[in-house]
Amino acid sequence: MELKVTKSIDERGEVCPVPDVDAKRAWKKMKPGEVLEVLLDYPLSKERIPANAEKAGHKVLAIEETGNSEWRILIEVQ
Amino acid sequence: MAIVYGLISGLLFGYVLQRSRLCFNSGFRDLLLEKDNFVWKTIVFALALQMIVFPLMAQFGLIKLAPPALNWVGVIVGAFLFGVGMVLAGGCVSGTTYRVGEGNTTSWFAALFFALTGMATANGILKPLADTLTVGRITVPSNSTLFTENVGPNISTMLGVNPLIPSLIIAALLIVYVFATKTSPRPEAKWSWWQSSILVVIVAAFAYWSSTQVGRNYGLGITGGWIGLMTFLTGEGTFGWFPALIVGIIIGAFITALVTKEFKLRVPKDGKTFVQVAIGGMLMGFGAVFAGGCNIGHFLTGIPLLAISSIVAGVFFILGNWAMTWFMYMRE
Repeated sequence: MELKVTKSIDERGEVCPVPDVDAKRAWKKMKPGEVLEVLLDYPLSKERIPANAEKAGHKVLAIEETGNSEWRILIEVQ
Repeated sequence: MAIVYGLISGLLFGYVLQRSRLCFNSGFRDLLLEKDNFVWKTIVFALALQMIVFPLMAQFGLIKLAPPALNWVGVIVGAFLFGVGMVLAGGCVSGTTYRVGEGNTTSWFAALFFALTGMATANGILKPLADTLTVGRITVPSNSTLFTENVGPNISTMLGVNPLIPSLIIAALLIVYVFATKTSPRPEAKWSWWQSSILVVIVAAFAYWSSTQVGRNYGLGITGGWIGLMTFLTGEGTFGWFPALIVGIIIGAFITALVTKEFKLRVPKDGKTFVQVAIGGMLMGFGAVFAGGCNIGHFLTGIPLLAISSIVAGVFFILGNWAMTWFMYMRE
């Protein structure tokens, strides 16, 4: 799935809950229709960020496994 | 046998921690930061189940209930510092320990500084400070055969009733709370929140029983295990149930992470993160020993024993966690 990514944040190696906080701060600054890409390697945040994005009303487009314990989450800001 | 029992308890606990992602730092913090109660409910339901399981095990003579002694300054100041420390370290002591096995290099640092500071507080250069600040370690004579001889003050000794009575009433209230209120969804989680609780309690029951078999009358803990491991490594102590538990958790989490393709050597981009987690580890090490337990010894094991020390420590773990969460992540 190729989408136009508006903003990308690389959260690999960050400690709990930095990926979650950075993702939230990023989507708050974005406009509806824009796509946020989150790269991360921390399993708990991989489960928590999509749940928080949906709770905030955004659309989770994809959660892709990009490597050994590495994921790419795509969120469309609503 | 002590080593085998400790190792089995640890391997099982490491597996359950890795799969359930059970970290008390996340449990407390997500309540405030994300208004999310998923991990919190895992913890609360585990407490409720243990309030039923532990007294029953004692009733059948498998264990003796041993609520920890009460050190007022410790369970307030020490516990608050511990709560602050877990936010800086990016994980509580159990969270940090299982992530050592998952390959988080920051957790290695946090664990090392936690263990060193814990050891310094328990029997090294920080001991005089902790002792000076300690105003007695209160114990009371037990009022039931389910207890050890002298116990920390607890709800049962205060009311003068059999421990089963308050345990079952509080467990029932907690169970109503977890099932009658809305739980934050987490569709990507491997285990549901209640499934995690049940598995944690199975491990906790085995750990309490097996540790009793080898003469250590208490359930799961982690702080004493890390200190025991460091003492053993420096040639001063023996390798028994408690150090084996820690080694088991790390190996259990490591194997689970390898099999589920979640093992990775994770290194933060900013080296300052290592300084932050080291400070967090030190605060947790001092706080846990001063308070008489960490999030496992006090929160997971001591609260189900209805110990006043663990209940107060639990409140201050959460307050410290919330204060630091606000300071680091919620200010604009």
